[in-house]
Amino acid sequence: MIKITNLEKFYRTEEVETVALNKLNIEINRGEFVAIMGPSGCGKSTLLNILGLLDDPDGGSYLFNDIEVAQFNERKRADLRKHNIGFVFQSFNLIDELTVFENVELPLIYTGVSATERKERVEEVLSKMQIMHRRNHYPQQLSGGQQQRVAIARAVVNKPKLILADEPTGNLDSSNGNEVMELLTDLNEQGTTIIMVTHSEHDARYSHRIIRLLDGHTVVENIMM
Amino acid sequence: MFKNHLKIAFRSLWRNRAFSAINMFGLILGFTVFIFIAEYVAYEWNANRFHQNFNQLSRLSFLYKTGESNYYLPPGLGPTLKSNVPGIKQVVRIGENVGSGVLSINTGASKNVFREERVSFVDGQFLKVFTFPVLQGNGLLNEPQTMALSKTTAIKYFGNVNAVGKVIQVNNQFGNTDYTVTSVYQDMPQNSDIQADVLLSYKTLESAALRNGNDWADPTGLGSEYSYLYILTNENANLSQISAQATNLWHKLKPDSKNDHVGLQPFQNLHIAPGFSYQFQTYGSLLLLIAFLSVAMLIIVIAWVNYINLSTAQALNRAREVGVRKVLGASRGQLTLQYLTETFVLTTISLGVAMLMVLMLQAAYNSFLEKQLSLAVLNAGWFWLGGATLIISGTLLAGGYVSWVLSSFNPLKTIRSKAFLKVGGLSLRRGLVVFQFVTSIIFIIATIVLYEQLQYMQNQDLGMKVEQRLAVTGPSIINSSQRDNSIAFENEVRQLPFVKQLSASNNIPGQGYNFSTAGITKSNANPGDDKKSYAMLIVDDQFFKTYDINIKYGTGFTLPMLAHGWTKTKKVVLNEAAVRQLGYNDNNAIIGQKIKWNNDFEIVGVVKDYHHLGLHEQIKPMIFLPAVADGFFTLKMETANMSTKMEQIRSLYQKNFPGEPFSYSFLDEVYDKQYKTEYQLGKIFIAAAFTAVLIACMGLLGLAMFAARRRIKEIGIRKILGANVFSLVNLISADFLKLVVVALVVASPIAWYIMHRWLEGFAYRITMQWWMFASAGLMALFIAFATVSIQAIKAAVSNPVKSLRSE
Repeated sequence: MIKITNLEKFYRTEEVETVALNKLNIEINRGEFVAIMGPSGCGKSTLLNILGLLDDPDGGSYLFNDIEVAQFNERKRADLRKHNIGFVFQSFNLIDELTVFENVELPLIYTGVSATERKERVEEVLSKMQIMHRRNHYPQQLSGGQQQRVAIARAVVNKPKLILADEPTGNLDSSNGNEVMELLTDLNEQGTTIIMVTHSEHDARYSHRIIRLLDGHTVVENIMM
Repeated sequence: MFKNHLKIAFRSLWRNRAFSAINMFGLILGFTVFIFIAEYVAYEWNANRFHQNFNQLSRLSFLYKTGESNYYLPPGLGPTLKSNVPGIKQVVRIGENVGSGVLSINTGASKNVFREERVSFVDGQFLKVFTFPVLQGNGLLNEPQTMALSKTTAIKYFGNVNAVGKVIQVNNQFGNTDYTVTSVYQDMPQNSDIQADVLLSYKTLESAALRNGNDWADPTGLGSEYSYLYILTNENANLSQISAQATNLWHKLKPDSKNDHVGLQPFQNLHIAPGFSYQFQTYGSLLLLIAFLSVAMLIIVIAWVNYINLSTAQALNRAREVGVRKVLGASRGQLTLQYLTETFVLTTISLGVAMLMVLMLQAAYNSFLEKQLSLAVLNAGWFWLGGATLIISGTLLAGGYVSWVLSSFNPLKTIRSKAFLKVGGLSLRRGLVVFQFVTSIIFIIATIVLYEQLQYMQNQDLGMKVEQRLAVTGPSIINSSQRDNSIAFENEVRQLPFVKQLSASNNIPGQGYNFSTAGITKSNANPGDDKKSYAMLIVDDQFFKTYDINIKYGTGFTLPMLAHGWTKTKKVVLNEAAVRQLGYNDNNAIIGQKIKWNNDFEIVGVVKDYHHLGLHEQIKPMIFLPAVADGFFTLKMETANMSTKMEQIRSLYQKNFPGEPFSYSFLDEVYDKQYKTEYQLGKIFIAAAFTAVLIACMGLLGLAMFAARRRIKEIGIRKILGANVFSLVNLISADFLKLVVVALVVASPIAWYIMHRWLEGFAYRITMQWWMFASAGLMALFIAFATVSIQAIKAAVSNPVKSLRSE
């Protein structure tokens, strides 16, 4: 599903050029659950942004479903993104002005789904996440765990093929964290590819494979059994 | 989708309600002031335009070789023009207020009397040529001794009974004449330059008997110039050709007038002149209206600039939201539309509230302007359309910019941390603040200059005294004992202990002269001297003393000079301006000299120049004529306990002039009335300046809030390193105060130029001083500092640990 070859990314300031990704090669197959780990500044987030088509690489190739997307412009990237990729953030990034229902509905609005179908799909995914009873609440009225469930609901409502999770349990206590990890595992078992950046060895154990990054390149890949 | 945008718009406005309120407050204020000024401009613009013949109407005037001009013409020219100049369909003459006096109706048992000022002699077709709808009767005044009444006047006299056919006795300078009402017309609109409550047929004055010796008023005469001449031309008539032919005709009729030119003033230029130097406009220059409209536009632009400033500053708070939406797939177009919807909602609410404000404040505004304005005046012409276009396009521009800024955020940066965020266009927003303050400072300077000029005019030594002078209007009903009655009244009033002086004159300062005339020269005149005009005033022996006007040479008039009247006595008093214009040397030798005005008139005195009318005008050459006058009685008196004193004067008045309504005015008020336009202008400018500064300050507040937030980490670090509150406040405020200083530098020359042009309209004026600019600048600086420092202090006293941790 994803194949990156010799991927490069630099950050330049006036004086220094920092290499964030250094000729990185990774391949991820459909249906995999992959954890990316590494110390701060190793390039995890940069990689996730590029994989999520939020950012473009400075060199190398990125095949997404066998399509070369490294040179896509912002518009094409956005188009591909909204139909294929869901995001889960550490800080949830729910919109405070919108209710739970409306937050989850948002990706469907942007992909032009009709109102009746939106309602059906949002309710379906909210039930699945067991957050249906909170549908008319605003994010600040929910606990952290509930907020992250809403965020995951929002990420999956469009039935994306790929979910990118950036430290999804980072702001949660361990029981809420485990719950979120269970959810992700369920999604993965239903066929969604998941790439998760994490600092937590515990969370990483939920994945099939851990990619460890250091200074912008892969140091080791562990296959989980 | 739109419904969704709308819902979110309302919700986010509500969520940020404090901020929305500040933002809306600016817009509401801007819209309200804009609508009010637009009403005023629309009102003046639409003056006279209700005439169906508007585009074919012109007023005639004389333009003299000397550069002087005159819109009072001899009535005899009228009918000749109509029969001799092709292209003229109708000529209508108006002897404005010439018929003022007392109207009485015999109701059998008693007699109802009313004093009417606005009584004009007009030609028979008046109500056909001008659009003052006829409610009763045939609208014609072709026969002698016929009249027409305005609706209000008719109701005042006869109630709801049909007034047509009723007979009213008119007592005025032409004696006591009976007139029959032929028509009742709709009251003339307030924004009509032609105003009359009673119309008398001009034909009446063709009878010498009905002129009562006032042969100057003969409608066929070419000698005295006292009548307005309006012409109705054919469609597409060539006005310059008509003007040339009228000039030729005039030269033929009056061979000694070869240098005069007959000019045509189309109605478009009657109320609002195309330029400042255009003569005879009845309201003012188009430039004045443009100035008002510019003020209105500037204020609304300031309000939008404010909107941009506050909204982009707030964008910081919404950056994350934008980022999330983008990550979830929102296109830039969708985001732009969403924020435009917010602008639309905000603008619509503000506009609605502004409309309500206008409705609520309309009465107060009207009483201040003394005009009947309403939203309805905007109906005429392009004002609705123009206003709507302006508001829509402004909203699109301001909202569009804000949406553009918001939707341009890079989602990667915004969803992670605010720390990296830079809201673009900081220099643009600085520029906008400078613009707001430039405008505000110009308004402040204009206000200061305006009030200084007003102060100057009020405190200027007029060369006479108007305080504690009461002017009682003299009798109008002419009868044989009139003169004796006047003398008796004067003597009795002089007996009142509180009356220090009394003078009778036929007109008073602040009001006007008796007439103006040319043809007066010294004995050995230079050619052309006879074309120079003099303002004539008929006064008694006490006039100069009563008004404290200084006599420079010779004496004033004496009682014996009054007795025979000026036509027989042949004595005059001049003012200094007249001495100069006549060409005499300014010394005592002038006393006893004779001036020629058909006959010889002896100069018995010279008075120092005084400002008979306001300071708008140069002091005119004046010639005083002696007579037992009865137009006005001026009483110099103590004004304490006025009501009891007034009762005493009233009873003496009614004893000596039975049946005459008693009316009076205070001279200082009469005089101040001349500055009404300036007062109004002053108030409008104060309001404009206040609004502009207020809105501009809100913009500044927004920017300061933004800056404080942007630099919160820097402030925290500085604090930990030992900076005190004062230095931190300085740090943030200095940036903004610089902007105000820049604004002052830009605004000063613009303000100087505008106000310089405005002052040129006054014959007596102040010169602008540096302190006017400096104080405007200081005021702006102070207000700006007060606004900014609140934010700065708030940021400076916050706990640095908190602000650092939050990053």
